[in-house]
Amino acid sequence: MAGPGSSPCASCKLLRRRCAKDCIFAPYFPPDDPHKFAIVHKVFGASNVSKMLQELPVHQRADAVNSLVFEANARVRDPVYGCVGAISYLQNQVSQLQMQLAVAQAEILCIQMQNEPTLQSHHHVLELDQDHKALLLQNNNNNINNCSNNNNNNNNNLGYAMSSGQFNSNFASPSSIMQMQMQMQMQDPLKQESLWT
Amino acid sequence: MNPKRCAACKYLRRRCPKDCIFAPYFPPNDPAKFACIHRIYGAGNVSKMLQQLPDQTRAEAVESLCFEAKCRVDDPVYGCVGIIHLLQTQIQNAQNELAKTQAEVAVAQTKVGQTQNSDQFM
Repeated sequence: MAGPGSSPCASCKLLRRRCAKDCIFAPYFPPDDPHKFAIVHKVFGASNVSKMLQELPVHQRADAVNSLVFEANARVRDPVYGCVGAISYLQNQVSQLQMQLAVAQAEILCIQMQNEPTLQSHHHVLELDQDHKALLLQNNNNNINNCSNNNNNNNNNLGYAMSSGQFNSNFASPSSIMQMQMQMQMQDPLKQESLWT
Repeated sequence: MNPKRCAACKYLRRRCPKDCIFAPYFPPNDPAKFACIHRIYGAGNVSKMLQQLPDQTRAEAVESLCFEAKCRVDDPVYGCVGIIHLLQTQIQNAQNELAKTQAEVAVAQTKVGQTQNSDQFM
């Protein structure tokens, strides 16, 4: 056991072994939360988690454990897609917002052009822009309707989903997953500070 | 040894049976795929996960596991959770930008309305 009067950590309890003083799991898997280690062990395995933690500096291990727990929860809730389902859902949200932003920016442009006195005589230009604007609005509405139909069964409160690990998505395909990976790699560098503060 | 062992059985140095659960998803010409997934999850865990899934979903499950394993190898601290955080930040920024732009549209439309009203009375 870890010491006189102290109980073994959740991992050593589950693995039914002596909890050493320098147990690598003990700081991150307290005995009062057995589910946390159980789910990580189920998905990744204790030895893999131990290896991963050993390869990390001590100050990053807590964050690593939290992200592993998050991924494990996502995988248990969605055995086919796991976290990838959430990534797909979020990417759809980003796309929708970008479309809405483009439409709003086009609207401003149209209004500004209508207000320009030098362009008021060029009616054919304004008509073309209004048609283009109508086309943009129509396309945006169609895309939003399609996306909202696809997302009907998903949890829209991602803040809650982040904390509880609840995801339910069925629209990721292998090719789109790999495309996502390429897009992600081209995005801004990931934050280095803790995500959990 | 069967010369046509799948990548998993080659990696694990074992015979590849006819009903090998890994064979359909880990062809021998892509050894890195199984190596990555084995490093993060372990062959036993992947096998158990696949056995619990219906056949038609296993290919997607393998692809998503590979993606997550690759993310974890690239970012040992956050894995694909880092990507989720990045996307959430992008969503927040886009929502803020959209709200600001929509407010500008409302202001611009109000100004147009006022201009048209004043023109009518001239």
